[in-house]
Amino acid sequence: MLELALSAGVMMTCLAGTFQFGYMFYIYNQLVTAVGNGARYAAQRTYRAANAQDIERGSAAIRNMVVFGDAQPSNEATPVIPGLKPEQVTVEWIAKEGSAPVAVDVSIHDFTVNAIFRSFTFDGKPFVEFPYIGRYAPGEREP
Amino acid sequence: MSACMFLLLAVIGLAFDLGRVYIARNEAQVFVDAASMAAAQQIDGTAAGLDRARAAVKRLPDRWNLGANSFEGVQVEFAPDSEHWSAQPQEAENVHFVRVMAPDNHLDIVFLRAVGGPETFTVPAQAVATTNPVRLTE
Repeated sequence: MLELALSAGVMMTCLAGTFQFGYMFYIYNQLVTAVGNGARYAAQRTYRAANAQDIERGSAAIRNMVVFGDAQPSNEATPVIPGLKPEQVTVEWIAKEGSAPVAVDVSIHDFTVNAIFRSFTFDGKPFVEFPYIGRYAPGEREP
Repeated sequence: MSACMFLLLAVIGLAFDLGRVYIARNEAQVFVDAASMAAAQQIDGTAAGLDRARAAVKRLPDRWNLGANSFEGVQVEFAPDSEHWSAQPQEAENVHFVRVMAPDNHLDIVFLRAVGGPETFTVPAQAVATTNPVRLTE
């Protein structure tokens, strides 16, 4: 009985650890995929820069692509990763003022994964940079 | 008891180590996708364009192993027809394809090695891009 009690304690600890790391890895892998897909979308998207609002609207579409897999999601859309919100996705254009972007950085900030036994927070990871190969449209407005 | 511990370690190893392997594979694939696009963008039919392509791959800050390691030993090859690859092509004007390979991503195995598994696991990735990409979005 004593042996069972001791070994059960060790085993439960091991299984709990396995679950929390396994779940964290699963979520992180999904984040890598989502960020990669969002960055690829950003790299090919038309960069409309008539004013700062248009740039922000373009970035919002990219954040939606990362979170929902859709640049213009419906109100009922659910995130591809539970709990992920567009404001936790950072989109940064690598560009000189008034010129076409050369690259786009997409990363996740302040996203906490609740693995029941422990929480993990991702800040700045995953991070992906893609070269910008889309069309530069400095005079166009976002539709 | 020892048989149970062996099995437990094996299960933990599968969950922990293979989980990291899948993440590393995904990270490496995203990197080579971005790197091949960056390289293809620089190819313009000149030797200087090929140099810029190699430099563009080196400049990419993407990382792997949960974002902890930078990619080492990345190889860039060029081809006129997506079949005859060369790292130093003789005729730059005929180059239309670029292939980026990240073959040296060696992941340390933590648990599976305790039950007879490998000490490291290599997670290679490669991607091919062309100088005339098909636009898939908008």
